[in-house]
Amino acid sequence: MASLKKFFFIKARDFVHAGEASIHIQSLLKSMHWDPVLIRRVAICSYEGEMNVVIHGGDGVLNLSIENDRLIIEIIDDGPGIQDISLAMQPGYSTASDEAREMGFGAGMGLPNMKKNADDIQIESEPGIRTRASMTFLLESPKETP
Amino acid sequence: MKPEPSDGLYVRFHEERCTGCAECLKVCPTNAIRIRRQKSVRFVDQCIGCAACLRVCPAGAVSSTTQLPESIGRDHVAIALVSPVLYAQFPSIMPGGVLMALRQTGFQHTVDMSFFFEMFEFAAAEFVRRNRTTREAPWPLISPICPVVVRLIAFQFPSLLPHILPVLRPVGLMTRELRERIIPDYENQKQRVVFYYINPCPTLSASTFGIDPHRPGPMEVAVGINDIYPILKPQVEKVLASDRIPFSWTRFGFETCSTADAAFAAMSGGEITRMEIDNSLAVHGLKETVDYLNKIEMGLLKDVEYIEFRTCREACLGGALAVVDKYIAKRHVQKMVATFGMGRRLPKDSLLRQYEQGKFKLEKSPEVLRRFFSSRKPTLSLADAARVEQLVAELGNHNCGACGAPDCRTFAEDVIHGQAELKDCVWMYVRSLKRGRTETDADSGKEHG
Repeated sequence: MASLKKFFFIKARDFVHAGEASIHIQSLLKSMHWDPVLIRRVAICSYEGEMNVVIHGGDGVLNLSIENDRLIIEIIDDGPGIQDISLAMQPGYSTASDEAREMGFGAGMGLPNMKKNADDIQIESEPGIRTRASMTFLLESPKETP
Repeated sequence: MKPEPSDGLYVRFHEERCTGCAECLKVCPTNAIRIRRQKSVRFVDQCIGCAACLRVCPAGAVSSTTQLPESIGRDHVAIALVSPVLYAQFPSIMPGGVLMALRQTGFQHTVDMSFFFEMFEFAAAEFVRRNRTTREAPWPLISPICPVVVRLIAFQFPSLLPHILPVLRPVGLMTRELRERIIPDYENQKQRVVFYYINPCPTLSASTFGIDPHRPGPMEVAVGINDIYPILKPQVEKVLASDRIPFSWTRFGFETCSTADAAFAAMSGGEITRMEIDNSLAVHGLKETVDYLNKIEMGLLKDVEYIEFRTCREACLGGALAVVDKYIAKRHVQKMVATFGMGRRLPKDSLLRQYEQGKFKLEKSPEVLRRFFSSRKPTLSLADAARVEQLVAELGNHNCGACGAPDCRTFAEDVIHGQAELKDCVWMYVRSLKRGRTETDADSGKEHG
């Protein structure tokens, strides 16, 4: 069975290169002529995930894995972690630094956006040690426009 | 399909002039160009007409498909459809004077496109305002004016097609008006009519110029501003030198132009300034446009209502076929506006009535472009895509272009599609030589066969 695996490094506070992994994934999926709406959902989620690491995390890694019927994006970082995951899932809740907010980030929509656009999302966090977010997208997804 | 040096809709590649220098290879936003046998060739159907190759070619081996008509109006009725960029080419003469000079070169009618820009800007602003409550289209709405942007979206960002403002472009409003008001008279008299579309973009005709569906009607010829400039310049000088305005008969309001800010819409930020939408942006340049489209695709810029995209620096004034330098042209426009001020020609209540009647609405959704463009690049299967990733890593991602492809990823895709061979990569070749040498050293004495 065909599969594709690839990983990307994400550097904390590197706002200049933030989004590069997401752009790479976008063009990869476009070369396979995937459904544009699904590509956009993946792009939004991988970008939000990347930005979470850039804004809050220590350095991290994004693992892309595509199996026949699904795509999984896993983001792991060794930043401060999330104290209360259900609170972080609420739209508008944010712990972003002033620096990030001044640049227009940290509006508290990251995790809610990821939840909205992924078919499934799993978040585990051991504060101070590591945080792992895993998002699954089904090729035959019931979800519609982002 | 193989890459070839043939003519496309927008630009021509001249093999005999090409030196194989590869300047064009890396500037193409759709990666359509390859170097084969030391000549530039391309996947013609992947060209979106941005003219980046034309601008960068030092050998003059890329030319526009626009043309200078030989006999304007000799056995037909010649109608000039004039992009306001033309006005910016001539300092110290009002747009109306330029149109008058143009009529001296053989055109029976000159149609001022800025008239239709005004219609478009009204309809666009009205749509944006209403969209705040109807949410008919997603934010940010994208200006449909630049045809290269529309093609770029259809080709590389199809998920953003619903963001394109569903209002008829000025060129579409213009040709419709002419078909309704000027053409019937001539058709009744059995006279042949030819539209000459004078503009700063490389294109074959006004119809291919954007998203207007082909319709039967007059023949259309696209003329570059650089094509018409040499014959227009002496006429403009004559108009400037005459102490009284020569008699020149026009029938419709759009046949002349009395406002000084007509070329404003062709300037960077001109569209959004005149639309008076506060929450808007103007983005110009090919790379910047691609960057911003990527951002929108990743869910950013949702708080912006309207984005004026132009792939040329300094917008249409910086069009590939403009004659006067974009910064000087911009100064011409600014001076004209400073002297004469901004003006509006069309009454708002009549525009609003037409808007309510749906006269500005795009008849076909830009979604139709998806089918048109999506088939142009071969599809990779998941296994192929995985192989491409692996190949790119093996190639080393030097992106040197020596293989004739713009970067390692495109080369790897070409290899998978059978368009190139791995031995075309010089890095792989050098590595294989080195490996061969060390193997030979280690195995000295043994035979190789």
